[in-house]
Amino acid sequence: MLVLFTDSDTDITPEIAKEYGYRIISMPYSIEDNTVFPYEDFEKFDEHEFYETLRGGVIPNTSGISEEKYIRYFEPEFSAGNDILYVHFSRAMSGTFEAMDSAVKKLKEKYPERSFYEIDTRAISILSLNICMEIGDMAKRGAGIDEILKWAETEVDKFAVYFFADDLKFFKHSGRVSALAGTMGTLLGVRPIIYMGSDGKMTNIGKEKGRSKAIARLISYAKELGDDMEGHRVLIAHADAPEIAEELRQSLISEFGDKLNIQIIVVNPTIGSHCGPDSAGICFHSKHR
Amino acid sequence: MREEVIDGCLFSSMIFAGADNLDANRKLVNDLNVFPIPDGDTGDNMFMTIDSGADELSGEENGEVGTAAAAAARGMLLGARGNSGVILSRIFAGIADGLKGLKKADVETLSKAFLLGVDEAYGAVSKPVEGTILTVYKDAAGYADSRITDDSTILSYFDDFVKELRCSLERTPELLDVLKEAGVVDSGGAGFFYIAEGMRDVLSNGTSKAERSSSKTAAVKVDISRFTEDSELKFGYCTEVLIRLQRSKVDPETFDIKPLEAWLKENGDSVVIFKDGSIVKIHVHTMTPGQVLNYCQQFGEYLTIKIENMTLQHNEHYAKEEETWSKKPHKAFGLVSVAAGKGIKELFSSLGCDEVVDGGQSMNPSTEDFVKAFRKINADTIFVFPNNGNVILTANQAAQIYDKAEVLVVPSKTVGEGYAAISMFDENSGDAGFIANEMKEIVEGVITGMVSRASRDARRDGLDIRSGDYIGFAGDTVYVDKADRSEAAVSLCERLGAGNCDILLILRGEAVSEEEAERLKSELSEKYKKTEVIVMDGGQPVHDYIIVFE
Repeated sequence: MLVLFTDSDTDITPEIAKEYGYRIISMPYSIEDNTVFPYEDFEKFDEHEFYETLRGGVIPNTSGISEEKYIRYFEPEFSAGNDILYVHFSRAMSGTFEAMDSAVKKLKEKYPERSFYEIDTRAISILSLNICMEIGDMAKRGAGIDEILKWAETEVDKFAVYFFADDLKFFKHSGRVSALAGTMGTLLGVRPIIYMGSDGKMTNIGKEKGRSKAIARLISYAKELGDDMEGHRVLIAHADAPEIAEELRQSLISEFGDKLNIQIIVVNPTIGSHCGPDSAGICFHSKHR
Repeated sequence: MREEVIDGCLFSSMIFAGADNLDANRKLVNDLNVFPIPDGDTGDNMFMTIDSGADELSGEENGEVGTAAAAAARGMLLGARGNSGVILSRIFAGIADGLKGLKKADVETLSKAFLLGVDEAYGAVSKPVEGTILTVYKDAAGYADSRITDDSTILSYFDDFVKELRCSLERTPELLDVLKEAGVVDSGGAGFFYIAEGMRDVLSNGTSKAERSSSKTAAVKVDISRFTEDSELKFGYCTEVLIRLQRSKVDPETFDIKPLEAWLKENGDSVVIFKDGSIVKIHVHTMTPGQVLNYCQQFGEYLTIKIENMTLQHNEHYAKEEETWSKKPHKAFGLVSVAAGKGIKELFSSLGCDEVVDGGQSMNPSTEDFVKAFRKINADTIFVFPNNGNVILTANQAAQIYDKAEVLVVPSKTVGEGYAAISMFDENSGDAGFIANEMKEIVEGVITGMVSRASRDARRDGLDIRSGDYIGFAGDTVYVDKADRSEAAVSLCERLGAGNCDILLILRGEAVSEEEAERLKSELSEKYKKTEVIVMDGGQPVHDYIIVFE
């Protein structure tokens, strides 16, 4: 049978993973010398505690995982005679996939009859999660791997994410956003607006002053680009800022009515280490990215 | 008739004396402040402006009134600080125009030159305000001109000029309500009065000083290590000599300098030569100063000789700056901002300003300070944020004289306006003109409130302000007056509609503790739930709180 994998960078939680039948590959972050594997080193993510630490001035580091670790995730499935579909976060954002490639290569030599499929969501956080959920839906209703891969060919580019950060120091530290306005470090209420393109990278596309204007800007993208939004989930992500998430939800409802399937998701700690606390964003089905 | 004409020497002495007299009275001028807080600096600004003109005259031989006036005007143009300083520099630019090319000037010529100063000064400001230095100077120049008769002397002209200056100065509160309310006369006009008074006193005392009593010209440091055993003489020697033509050699009266000038041009460049009576002054850059000395000795004997290796000079003055300039990567846009206080300066740096010029409410930067900042930036277009109403003219003046880049002044009147604009600066949003407009719009959409401690009793905007109170104001209007600083800040926020703002940025001054500011933040956050309250350590003087409403 086909076993679904994803990773914790997609904001998936053990509950959602269970609902859609995913195994989670844990992507670690570290604070000082203490490396933490989400959902392996803890069961439930205490977002408030984590983001409070960041508000206190701590900037965590993130890292990939080793070839051995990938082998430990994948080998039991291959040896049990299962095939694997790994719906993962953006290859363009991490070197960890080299370790994965080499793990898969070794495993294929050992289990030549087994198949390994991957879908690069070319995203992180809620954009990846939205795709995971759609694929989970398909798998649940019995779709085969060919159908899923074909769907992914066109649909991965039809989910868009727009978000804003509250403090640029986290992105500056991680260097993961291109075109970040010059040397701007101190934001003081100015929120850079970031989106993820088809290249699987985050790009800064402007800024807004104040939360209200930043929220309005995100909604304006949904208005401009939204495509069959009622037929797909609309996800809201927040890094320990439930009140911003609620404001986003209210704004979406007042713009698009109450037929939207809106879900509020907490940004996972590893991605949260890049965007920092009080970041928030929306993901919706779109004409294009 | 004691002085029928004014020459360069007398003109210089008068500028020196004017500067000295203003220096002696600058605190008095500073205190002529319409606002009851200790931020007056007109006296300082005007003194530093005229001082810079006097420096330009010091150590120079200024036989001709035209060259002396030009030198003084040039110095003031670069040294101009604050609006009054800029206007002062323009007055003298007009005067220099009127005296251009003249060795000496009689009363009528001088008066015409002073009248040119009026036009030039009014042209410097986009919206001239009456009841200021402009009016005072215009009245005095007009009155003194109307009093000229066949018997007039330079002294009698100046007597009339100074007399009307004082009368007009005393009328300024009738023209400007803010002055009347504050019970003061215009500070810029007063500063100019002290300058003119000093100039007049030179004439009446008959003491003409060749040097300044308070000359602050430091000896130019020459680093001789810059010219080593292996150095190549690239720039030659700056050679300046003063020759007394000798009757035994030539006829001093009919001596023609043209052939000498031609010879000098063949043996050097940057030739300046003029004859004043039996004295010939020569300035030339030459590789062979010895030849120049030998050649010129056939006409007379030397009074003074000055020869400097320009490689040393050149390195000193230009080499360093040009080097740093060219090393910086070229970019489309550069940002220059003006700020006082460590925190605010850091804020602007972190927002992406290339250069933060030191200055603010009580220490305005000069035109030259701006030009120096521009020189450090290698960009096509430089945006300047003066962040103070009294600095905008200076920035404009610097923008006019700088030619290595397009300089656009965004007329921000407070650090709050500057912050609001620069934080939204986006080099990808359009071309320079578009961005400048965008910045200007943001600047206009911001209100900046300030809380400062009153330094004297005052009645203003219907409030009875006591010395020691904390007043909250925005622009020229005082909105609140409280005994407690935080209370003043809170009421000011209420008066300025903080509840309708997305962001309230509070810059705490050097007098305010972090705890106090944090308490204020909590109180305001509690009160205005929809508004983001951000507190920063600005470290600025005078303004205990600068509150930016956006």
